[in-house]
Amino acid sequence: MLCEKCKIRDANIQYTEVINGTKKEHHFCAQCAKEMDFGVYAAIFDGEFPLGKLLSGLLGIEDTDKGPDKLHQILCPTCGTGYDEFVRDSRFGCADCYSVFGPLMEDSLKQLHGNLIHTGKTPVYQRQDYMDLRSGTGEHEKDSTEDPNSAVNYEEIFQWNAKLKEALRFEDYETAAVCRDKIKELKKGNEADA
Amino acid sequence: MLRWFEQKDTGRPGVISSRIRLVRNWQDYRFPSTLDEKESGEMVRSLEFGLKDLGKDEGHNFEFAMLGDLEELDRVALKERRVLNSAAVSNKKPAGIFISENEDTGIVLNCDDHIRIQLLQMGLHLEELWERAGKIDDYINERFAYAFDDRYGYLTSFPTNMGTGLRASVVVHLPMLSQGKKFQGLISDMGRFGASVRGVYGERDENFGSLYEISNQKTLGQTEREIIDTVTKAAIQLTNQELQVRKLSLQRHRDEREDEVYKSYGVLKYSRRLTSRDAMIFLSQIMAGLADGLIHTEEDFSVYRLMLGIQPANLQKLSDRPLSKEELDGARAEFIRRELPEL
Repeated sequence: MLCEKCKIRDANIQYTEVINGTKKEHHFCAQCAKEMDFGVYAAIFDGEFPLGKLLSGLLGIEDTDKGPDKLHQILCPTCGTGYDEFVRDSRFGCADCYSVFGPLMEDSLKQLHGNLIHTGKTPVYQRQDYMDLRSGTGEHEKDSTEDPNSAVNYEEIFQWNAKLKEALRFEDYETAAVCRDKIKELKKGNEADA
Repeated sequence: MLRWFEQKDTGRPGVISSRIRLVRNWQDYRFPSTLDEKESGEMVRSLEFGLKDLGKDEGHNFEFAMLGDLEELDRVALKERRVLNSAAVSNKKPAGIFISENEDTGIVLNCDDHIRIQLLQMGLHLEELWERAGKIDDYINERFAYAFDDRYGYLTSFPTNMGTGLRASVVVHLPMLSQGKKFQGLISDMGRFGASVRGVYGERDENFGSLYEISNQKTLGQTEREIIDTVTKAAIQLTNQELQVRKLSLQRHRDEREDEVYKSYGVLKYSRRLTSRDAMIFLSQIMAGLADGLIHTEEDFSVYRLMLGIQPANLQKLSDRPLSKEELDGARAEFIRRELPEL
């Protein structure tokens, strides 16, 4: 079906309008749809940075004026980024913004990523607790003679530790117990290796 | 030395190139958007100094430049060659780039994030690129502690990058599959598996040249391997389907296909003016024709190199004076006549 506005491109957006109980269906192409007024949903057609813009939509940029006043007063103490600014740009001003705005946007993050806990790579060189675990001494030097298999174990311990913390935060003691046992088991394995 | 896109990858048909991009921030500074001019300059210089021996152990040469010292045309040309992104082109604050000789590796400092590591290679090589990116990542991390959180992973300016900070992407050529009615549905299906597909050239849903970029949507809650696996599988899935459609078209409409490919060659080889749109469409025909064995050239060549070469800023760079739109179309036709090998 061709777009009913430009009649050139294929219509790939269906828009249903209900006015006074009368339903009307429209078919537009993405270009024409973008030029029309779809309010907050217009972000969907903007290819420049769709996820970020969409996030603003999800966070409720439209509703900021009606929202509780308290939210508008939230300010990151480190970089000075305010709640409104953060919602408008979908952009953190510094690492500390994560602790300020993170808890406010958990639902949006879940919608965006589906999962809220990092399970990927961890920085190799900077984590005191992680490095202590790795070297057993707390030194920050990377040991090149280290057995690669045991290094994988330490990484695993670190990840289970993160899961444990998360479980405790949500008072999910059943998962926490599983994590604790897993960590114990892994630590034992390492000692046996050594 | 041949640049990365001038090399021909004989691997999986339909796959053009792979890209791994990692974003990181140095924990000692606020993110770029809230740094003032002085802090930005100081941070970029510190990073430049700390990373000056980057790649030396492996015998790789990196050149460093402040983005502000480059002409705007050079920055746009680098964007067309996929080294910089739009944010780096329009960036006004002090920012820098380490770039390898063949342009396959670039580390941009202080644009959207403090550190943006990007590796490019022809063919389907996400695993290999991830290994290499990981080494650069560790090298930088050894010198500069990252902003990292147990829960949120690597902390980045945009929530769309937090977690792994990884964007894995593959460019594929889908000239026939994308013409089919089911293509939009196929793209939506890919979205459900976490892979987003978008056209590379042209505006909105017009895509001249039928190149599509597949990349991961999510960056948090998945391991890097899982992300790479998702994108690789999507690339294999889409290129396999394209190959099936092409095989069918060769069985049923071989003459028409051959005619289209040779006509495209004729237009490219003899035109005096070519718009970007037309050139991309005809080059796409040649790309498919070569892959299907419908046409053979005297020398092997990378069609993708021509596709990058005919972008406006790269063409403009070949001339010693500013070109009008018509002159640019003339320069494009001349470039293709010169670079397209004989049959």
